[in-house]
Amino acid sequence: MLLELNNIFKWVNQGGKRIYLLSDINLKVEEGEFISIMGPSGSGKSTLLNVIGMLDGFQEGEYNFLGESVHSMKEKNRSKLYKEYIGFVFQAYHLIDELTVYENIETPLLYKNVKSSERKALVADMLDRFNMVGKKDLFPSQLSGGQQQLVGVARALIAKPKLILADEPTGNLNSKQSEEIMQLFKELNQEGVTIIQATHSETNAAYGSRVIHLLDGRRDQQ
Amino acid sequence: MIRNYFKIAWRNIKKNKVYSFINIFGLALGLAVTMIIGLWIVDEFNYNDHFESKDQIAQIMQNQTINGSIETSEGLPLALEFQLRDNFGDAFGYIVMSSRPDERYLSLKDKVISSTGRFMQVDAPDLLELDMIEGTRKGLKETNSILLSETTAQILFGSESPLGKTVVSNNEYTMVVTGIYKDISTNNSFSDMQFIMPFKHWMSTRWGWLENQDSDWSYNPFFIYVKLSKNADLAAVNARIVNLKKDNRPGGDVFNSQLFVFPMTDWYLHSNFENGKPVGGRIENVWLFGIIGLFVLILASINFMNLSTARSEKRALEVGIRKSIGSTRRQLIYQFLSESFLVVLLAFFLAMGFVLVSLPAFNTIAGKDVIFPWSSSLFWMVSLGFIGFTALVSGSYPALYLSSFKPIKVLKGTFKMGKFTALPRKVLVVTQFTVSIALIIGTLIVKDQIDYSKNRPVGINSAQLIQLPTSSQDFSGKYDLIRNAFLSSGSVTKMGWGTSPTTSIWNYSSGYDWDGKPVDFNESFAQMAISFDYIDAVGMKIIEGRSFSRDFATDSNAVVLNKTAVEYMDIKNPVGKYIRRNAAGPNDVPMQIVGVVEDVINESPYEPVSPQMYQFGQGTGGFYYLRLNPNQATGKSLASVEKIFKTNFPNLPFSYDFVDEEYAQTFAAEEQIASLANIFTILAIMISFLGLFGLAAFVAEQRTKEIGVRKILGASVTNLWVMLSKDFIVLVMIAFLIATPLAYYFMSDWIAKFSYRTDISAGIFLIAGFGVLLLTVITVSFQAIKAAVTNPVKSLRTE
Repeated sequence: MLLELNNIFKWVNQGGKRIYLLSDINLKVEEGEFISIMGPSGSGKSTLLNVIGMLDGFQEGEYNFLGESVHSMKEKNRSKLYKEYIGFVFQAYHLIDELTVYENIETPLLYKNVKSSERKALVADMLDRFNMVGKKDLFPSQLSGGQQQLVGVARALIAKPKLILADEPTGNLNSKQSEEIMQLFKELNQEGVTIIQATHSETNAAYGSRVIHLLDGRRDQQ
Repeated sequence: MIRNYFKIAWRNIKKNKVYSFINIFGLALGLAVTMIIGLWIVDEFNYNDHFESKDQIAQIMQNQTINGSIETSEGLPLALEFQLRDNFGDAFGYIVMSSRPDERYLSLKDKVISSTGRFMQVDAPDLLELDMIEGTRKGLKETNSILLSETTAQILFGSESPLGKTVVSNNEYTMVVTGIYKDISTNNSFSDMQFIMPFKHWMSTRWGWLENQDSDWSYNPFFIYVKLSKNADLAAVNARIVNLKKDNRPGGDVFNSQLFVFPMTDWYLHSNFENGKPVGGRIENVWLFGIIGLFVLILASINFMNLSTARSEKRALEVGIRKSIGSTRRQLIYQFLSESFLVVLLAFFLAMGFVLVSLPAFNTIAGKDVIFPWSSSLFWMVSLGFIGFTALVSGSYPALYLSSFKPIKVLKGTFKMGKFTALPRKVLVVTQFTVSIALIIGTLIVKDQIDYSKNRPVGINSAQLIQLPTSSQDFSGKYDLIRNAFLSSGSVTKMGWGTSPTTSIWNYSSGYDWDGKPVDFNESFAQMAISFDYIDAVGMKIIEGRSFSRDFATDSNAVVLNKTAVEYMDIKNPVGKYIRRNAAGPNDVPMQIVGVVEDVINESPYEPVSPQMYQFGQGTGGFYYLRLNPNQATGKSLASVEKIFKTNFPNLPFSYDFVDEEYAQTFAAEEQIASLANIFTILAIMISFLGLFGLAAFVAEQRTKEIGVRKILGASVTNLWVMLSKDFIVLVMIAFLIATPLAYYFMSDWIAKFSYRTDISAGIFLIAGFGVLLLTVITVSFQAIKAAVTNPVKSLRTE
């Protein structure tokens, strides 16, 4: 098992009242799954992804990742853990404007202190795979949205994560670009990468092996 | 990794050109100012470093109690030398009697030059560590010998060797050149010394009557320099010599003279005494500029911090992304620190450029010879430390603050700078403007005080008045002759003679008695002998009685007092009353007071005037005072005066000074300080406003969307302008409220050291306040109006 959420509760206090962002979430994810999280705006999709990605905390419940209990872990170890195993893909791509395509993809390796020669080889492979060798010296502003998201995915993959978390990865793209990205996800999944995506789109959700519905922070067991 | 940090830093600098320019240029300006001030301070501290045994060389001085106040002076009596030599040989390696710096005409055949030098005892070359080019350090043994500086020797003898040849001093004494010493470098107490002649020579020509009275304690015109023995303890030596004069002077010492050793290390920076205690001196300027330098650096660093944090919202997203793809906080801190390091490094190089370019101009204003210390390892070490420190301090706030952002918040886009982040920035802006306003107020008060003292009536009319030194024997007995020649030429309307220049007092005397003098009154009068025509020639104002006159034969024994002297002596209706000389015995004819004149400022324009006694005289030495014809071009008058001078004194060089220029000289030190302070203040203000400009630009940019929405809702440009400017104006007003009492406190302390001083006027504070406010409005408005007139459709679309 890759990860397991048991009775996760997350809330904020507003005007003396507790507002639940997540309530009683139970989820088991096996390696190699491709899960889509669906639900209307504000249902807690992104919050759940952030909790899984360890970017956000929760108040109650247990979270085990590869047999380690994330809820009782120190911040430092937690960041070590996600640096090693998790890659993020964002709706707004979130590339660094000041860096070229090549450098954007290379950055996670820098943070993992990978040696220079090895970095070069890894980034070159990635560029090759995504057919972006010719664009490696361009800056994000010189690329189309679809190309930017390709870089975003490449950057998420470069550190060889076990799990990719994608929050509305095609939200800013047209249908053709969306299809390309989803196709890419499918291929990656077939190679063994576990993927969890949050999406509004039934079409995109259909690429996954399993769909989880959320409503007001709860799993909607319809 | 490091390379990567610098790469990103460099791209960020290039991307935001205006912002980078403000940041780097502002910091460079601040660094340049601090560097120049630093170089200046080091130069001040290195004064007298020319002398290897700087720590052992000293001067003997005395404190005398005159009418309850303690006066410190360097003049000492002849008898002291023998006491020192006989009883304290173990404490002093060398004891050298010396004259004060004095001017002499040195001539070689037809060539005559005027040089400044001293008359010193035989050990002087050893004490002053003279570097002999020819001859030895023992060259002052013979009474008719002279040592010349290299430059003086070159001017007189050209390329010939002067050793053993003769020069004539003041057209009278033939001196044999026994040595040539390398010019004593600048930046020390003896740098003006162009010759040294034996002390014995000076004694025999000037103080001949005193020469063989080695027990005389009453005349105090001599300087004594000493070199302390290697292991001598200054405090111990002081304790041994303190009462030497008092204990040995026959008949006791009414002035309670206390001797002390004044070490060379204190001569330059700690030369002011008040009530016998050292109270600083130039060291105060060192402190003043040190503080200004520090302030300027702080201002520039504040700019850097302010602009960096202000821009942090733009980079918050970057921080979020980096964190989400695996960056640790530490790595982000390194990234931001290396960015600030790069900016500081660029600023440092730019600052070095500024310093190199402006150093010559600075040297002119400051009267210095500061050079850029390329080869000083200390300079580079300090600079390196400085770069590191500034980068750390100015970069740490953004580095620590930015890296603490929660990635989830900035990535969601809900992150907004709250009140919390604006507050430190506001505090920094207030600090910055508090310093700027305080500096403005300070410089305005300094300027006010100088102007006030400049407008102080000096008591004479210095326009078109020149003074000619007449120290040579050639002038003896020729006064009436040459006066007639000058007056009949039509170029000179009036002429007089006096023993000392109008800008200094050369002689004080005591030992007088008059009716009504209190019993324990130890009087001391400034003294000067003047000719019949002096008072009229220099334009002094007679309040009571009359000037010396050829019509009264008894005037040779008359005195004229200044107003302060009359108040000092406390005599009513002084004209016609008598002053008696104590020392002269019962048969002496008392001097009659024939007139009272308005005070003349002879010394510091900031100090009260001394009681002064003018006696009649027509001897040699002193100065001729010529009033040039105002209806004739000055150049023409001077040419005519020179011609007459040359006809009468063919062997003497014609030299003169304009009296008004001499007066201007008395302000030179303060004006120098004031103009430097002015420049630094202007730079400090520039830096502050540069920062404000950057900040205003940032705020306007940040609120573009809000401005667009407000415009659509009907806000006018004026509404928006007020809205955007208001915040800054409030900050500047707070700064003004803090700066005012601070500046008042420090400046009233500063101004209190002048006896003749202006009041600190409220006007100065208002000028500073309104000036800064106006500049703020202009600076901020530029950005505000630019943002306010932007088409809202455009600004909303780009969102």
